[in-house]
Amino acid sequence: MPLTAPDLTESHRPRGKGRPRTVETAAPSLVELLNLVRSGAANTRQELERQSEFGRAVVADRLTMLGDLGLVDESELGTATGGRAPRLVRFANRRAAILVATLDQTAIGVGVADLSGNLLTEHHEAADLTAPPDELIDRMTALFRWSMDRHAPQGAIWGISLSVPGAVQGTTEGDFLTATPPVLPAWEGFPLIETLTRRFGVPVWMRSSVETMTMGELHAGAGIGMRSMLFIKVGRRIGAGMVCDGQLYRGAQGAAGLIGSLPTASGGRSGTLDALAGSDMIQREGLSAAQDGRSPMLADILRRGGEITAIEVSQAAQMGDAVSTEILSASGHLIGQVVAVLANALNPELIVLSGSIVQTNDILLAALREAVYGASHPFVTRDLRIIRSQMGSSAGLVGAARVASEALFAPGFLKEWVMQGSPLAHPAFVTLQDRLSADAAPPPPMTARAGKELST
Amino acid sequence: MTISGLGPHGERAAPPERVSLLPDDRTAAKSAGWRVAVVLHTLQSDWAKQQLTGMVGIFGDCGAAVIDVVDCGFSPDLQVAELDRLIGQRPDAIISLPVANEQVAAAHARVSEAGIKLVLLDNAPTGLLPGKDYTALVSADNFGLGKIAAAGLSQHLAKGAEVGVLGFAADFFATNEREIAFTDWLQINRPDITPRVRHFARIEDAAASAEALLAAHPALAGLFVVWDTPAMAVATRQAELGASLQMATVDLGEEAAIALARGKTVCCIAAQQPLLQGIVAAQTVILCLLGRPVPAWIALPGICVTRENVVESFQTIWRQPAPREVLRLLGLS
Repeated sequence: MPLTAPDLTESHRPRGKGRPRTVETAAPSLVELLNLVRSGAANTRQELERQSEFGRAVVADRLTMLGDLGLVDESELGTATGGRAPRLVRFANRRAAILVATLDQTAIGVGVADLSGNLLTEHHEAADLTAPPDELIDRMTALFRWSMDRHAPQGAIWGISLSVPGAVQGTTEGDFLTATPPVLPAWEGFPLIETLTRRFGVPVWMRSSVETMTMGELHAGAGIGMRSMLFIKVGRRIGAGMVCDGQLYRGAQGAAGLIGSLPTASGGRSGTLDALAGSDMIQREGLSAAQDGRSPMLADILRRGGEITAIEVSQAAQMGDAVSTEILSASGHLIGQVVAVLANALNPELIVLSGSIVQTNDILLAALREAVYGASHPFVTRDLRIIRSQMGSSAGLVGAARVASEALFAPGFLKEWVMQGSPLAHPAFVTLQDRLSADAAPPPPMTARAGKELST
Repeated sequence: MTISGLGPHGERAAPPERVSLLPDDRTAAKSAGWRVAVVLHTLQSDWAKQQLTGMVGIFGDCGAAVIDVVDCGFSPDLQVAELDRLIGQRPDAIISLPVANEQVAAAHARVSEAGIKLVLLDNAPTGLLPGKDYTALVSADNFGLGKIAAAGLSQHLAKGAEVGVLGFAADFFATNEREIAFTDWLQINRPDITPRVRHFARIEDAAASAEALLAAHPALAGLFVVWDTPAMAVATRQAELGASLQMATVDLGEEAAIALARGKTVCCIAAQQPLLQGIVAAQTVILCLLGRPVPAWIALPGICVTRENVVESFQTIWRQPAPREVLRLLGLS
């Protein structure tokens, strides 16, 4: 997709002196009206006038501008309540699309979302996150292009949002990334963000998988309408997402909820929660039980040339294997003891458990419930529900889409691009593009630099 | 056999054994006398007929009446209308194969909202969640099927060849997975091969799409078609044109089995196990009606079928003798 430069036609060009033109002062009201429509707070001109307190003429003018920019649609009629049926004002959430991806320890998921953060399609496949990062990004690129061909063949892409298995340092609320933050040791020194920005010509956001999955669960899963929720992801690492007053709590550095590094003790051993209850422990204990014959079911998998991972142990537990049940139960109890501390501190309405180990068996959930109910104040558990997520990895994709859509339309960010009708014309992004083009280009010739179209 | 794909929400596959029925389950089901409806994309294909046979047998064993079997003719509008009609008949459960994505999602959600258990086959429309909007998805390992087809066809392709991929235009989990896996396998294992992709919207358009693909890329040395019915339409048209293109496809339909045995066009088939899939889907329905927890995604492995093993594979998959023509072509009768 060629990147279009900001529209600097006569009507948009800044003036040197005198009273600013309407188009120059319209941005704040456009931002307010667009976000009222986008959030569903108002969907007729009358409601917009009432909620924004702008006059009829201003609302009419701004809606015309938003319509011309392709950001709202007024083609539909609402229900008449006595007089003429009002014209509905709808957010044009198909004006462009957002590409989303989840990178997990053992899988990669990609999707296409509309500008409201609704997933239009998704695909998940096994992947090895310890593989060279250039292979991983090539695979992600191939899957993005396949998804775009099917779901955004001629539509614009306005952003990429990634969900990664670790806290993302250095991200402030809403900002797209201008460089690759340290996430995983295997990716150190690899320009993930820069490569994606160059290939697709769009801004890139990145959040931890716990954060994106919590947002996904909150907006499209069991957490819809919840004011307080705990989301616990169990994998190689164990993390918690905390929703307070309907908002994800990120902490000062975006590192809230890293419960996996808490010291714990179990069966005479001590270590972090990750080490004593995460999928590495489950795999290790399962393999040991298979090798010494304590678990006939797991031993049979080995005998047939299969591999024992935490998933095999989880499935064996679900099918009644006693040793596997014991392993999962120990993990659930330990995680439950830590979650109980959080529950007592936050008093959530809902605790949602997620991760492929949790999805494949009921044992871990049952053990965690027992531990939380046993270690919490009765008031905390009186109406508390502890459930398993039904969204699987889709939660990460939905949450990643919400990260990008909320950032694109955050008032401070939106006012910088709304007049041009595309976030690709945001001054900070244009600056980033220029820098990346200059970094990638050979030494500039003496003549003026050529146009800056980036091919996707 | 392992499952190489992930479910529509990234789920790990549960094996079919997870939904086995015990004698107690059958006894309990018989006393309940449930009513079940089946909504398929088509009733014309061998795959659909076998799937239905598998389901009906299990429902019979469990005393559940199959009150309606709907042929949607691949039409999303018809499927939406039929699901709404069936909701009015208040069956205890519906097994449905969603023929599209967004267009049929809301109608399927309405089934669950009406308190009717919904088990999906092969496709889960984006946005629908297991446990909330449907009970479980039963499908083949479609990602694995795409890989089997790629591995089989690649053996017949010279270094640096171009290969055509004829995918399905509808946004459909099963065919999407096959197409993605086919090109993925080539990228990893045969990066010298260049895939050329085109999509057809209707089975009747498949042959014309293949012709257009060949016209655009005359050097194509092979073709992967995402299931057997359109593949056979393409093969027939290619034969009429006197062209010989090595093909791989999915599903061991009778015609495809004959083409494989003939050995001229079809060189590899990645076969599903439709009879077994029907059995598993029906067992899943019975278990969820009994209130037992069922996995979100139950997947059946694919089988690699070549000319060498087509007879025994046909018997395994269909539980029937191979077609007489297959036996004749292989000199077995």
